Amino acid sequence: MPYAATRTSPQQHSRVASNGRAVAACAGHAGVPDEVARHHEHAVAAGQCCSVMVQSIAAPADAVWSLVRRFDQPQGYKRFIRSCHLVDGDGVEVGSVRELLVVSGLPAENSRERLEIRDDERRVISFRILGGDHRLANYRSVTTVHEAASEGGPLTMVVESYVVDVPPGNTVEETRIFVDTIVRCNLQSLEDTVIRQQAMAAPAAPHNDHNHS
Amino acid sequence: MAEICCEEAKSTPATAVAAASVSATAAAAAAVAVASSALERRRRRLEMRRFRVAGDPEAPVAEDVRAAKRQRLARTLSSTCPDAGSGSGSDSDRPALPERLPRYGVTSVCGRRREMEDTVSVRPDFVPGTSKQHFFGVFDGHGCSHVATMCQNMMHEVVADEHRKADCSGEETAWKAVMERSFARLDEQAASWATSRSRDEPSCRCEQQKPLRCDHVGSTAVVAVVSPTHVVVANAGDSRAVLSRAGVPVPLSVDHKPDRPDELARIKAAGGRVIYWDGARVLGVLAMSRAIGDGYLKPFVSSEPEVTVTERTDDDECLILASDGLWDVVTNEMACEVVRACFHSNGPPAPAARANGAALRAAENGSAAAKGVSVEDSDKACSDAAMLLAKLALARRSADNVSVVVVDLRRGI
Repeated sequence: MPYAATRTSPQQHSRVASNGRAVAACAGHAGVPDEVARHHEHAVAAGQCCSVMVQSIAAPADAVWSLVRRFDQPQGYKRFIRSCHLVDGDGVEVGSVRELLVVSGLPAENSRERLEIRDDERRVISFRILGGDHRLANYRSVTTVHEAASEGGPLTMVVESYVVDVPPGNTVEETRIFVDTIVRCNLQSLEDTVIRQQAMAAPAAPHNDHNHS
Repeated sequence: MAEICCEEAKSTPATAVAAASVSATAAAAAAVAVASSALERRRRRLEMRRFRVAGDPEAPVAEDVRAAKRQRLARTLSSTCPDAGSGSGSDSDRPALPERLPRYGVTSVCGRRREMEDTVSVRPDFVPGTSKQHFFGVFDGHGCSHVATMCQNMMHEVVADEHRKADCSGEETAWKAVMERSFARLDEQAASWATSRSRDEPSCRCEQQKPLRCDHVGSTAVVAVVSPTHVVVANAGDSRAVLSRAGVPVPLSVDHKPDRPDELARIKAAGGRVIYWDGARVLGVLAMSRAIGDGYLKPFVSSEPEVTVTERTDDDECLILASDGLWDVVTNEMACEVVRACFHSNGPPAPAARANGAALRAAENGSAAAKGVSVEDSDKACSDAAMLLAKLALARRSADNVSVVVVDLRRGI
């Protein structure tokens, strides 16, 4: 049955996946500070869908954020990106635009994306897809990084949410499955990369500058 | 990637693996079919000859954005293995030429893809202590090249090791177990970046990032073991092996596309989904249902190979292994016809002629894409066939790397 959206009012996402598992909750109840949770409240139009993914990483929030914040170097942890170069702006200021080349095997060739938010104080980064050779129209992503309570060492929670058009011929569920698979893989790679960097930095001096951009 | 749309281009995979042998009736019917299509084949041969003299494919049409990307023959390798010098033909039952080393040709072409991620492995006499078993493999990587490179370097060793452990007598069930264990071992290795990259290879992109795991990279694997009596094929992914028997193509593998009915059922039973996103894809991401690697799509993308054991016959002409860069735009029938035409135009291989320096053919751009391939005396027919098939794929706008192995299975020549 073709997708027929009947919603006419904006609505918040209704599903949170914690380390790959689906949990019925909104981000506001997932331990995210209220001041940051609002960034994950997407206005979802008719014909769109949204989703939220959460990844816990046993590392300091600053170490995680140093990777997440790099709009100009997403391939530092996003494995499906082959290369990235800035076509507008310096990658730090809002409005910067990057062009990505995607690795082989995926249903995408390239993507052009704009930096919408970058808040180093609150650790929030957001980008919007402007175009490219793929089927994700009007895609907007928000990623936030938070220190989490833990008794056994540093623990960081990464929350990534997105909203996107459902492509013609596909359903909401299919669109979520596709995008969630990519986002989950990225968050897992982020954890792997941070843990490895922390392991390599451990014998050296603490607060090694190598971990920061 | 967009599927190449071309009438007659894509061969429909057989719904069942071909029977191990063709019955007498079927053989007779095949002979009649071959005779009745003589005019058709003549027309195709003329097409082939025109294409051959035309040289490089014509420039792509400007309107086709994808096709307009500059063609790259970044790595084109064409070479063949020399047949061993013939010993005395003391055994009257044996073919005129000893089958110690196979006659084969290999081509691997980057084509329109931005990077070369195909690899080819040819390992004559690859089982220590056992002769006349020859290994051929085509591996089409995706996400990066290092899993395909690992398969190129290790698959034959792992198969030989499992073969030794199994004390394989050639029974079909024994070969199935050997191949399944071999593919599983390579799949485990693929998940670990440190072991999947060999020291002497040029570094791949992933090395810079040094991830603990490398789940997003994978490769197809179509592998053939050719002995004097049998052809064993193991396949995971959408590369393919085809036997030409009395001019009739016999598929020895069936492509693992996610919408193949039994693959679709297996994926669903495992809790996965096949989503149409630029074609049928597992979770909307990967356009094949089996591969070495791709840990992030386990268990939906399986590394378990489908294995066929086919008894050789006097009607066998050749074995073709190739990546989907070929099969997406060339049918099984067309591929077999091309090889037949090359065999016909080259005549039977003559041992004496191969010693002639004029027949010598050097590899181009080293051996990055193909390993185990000897660059000494060439088997011109197989080499010509492999190269011609690759050129045909490029001319038909294949959007992928193209790798082709052609093995001469003719006896008594």
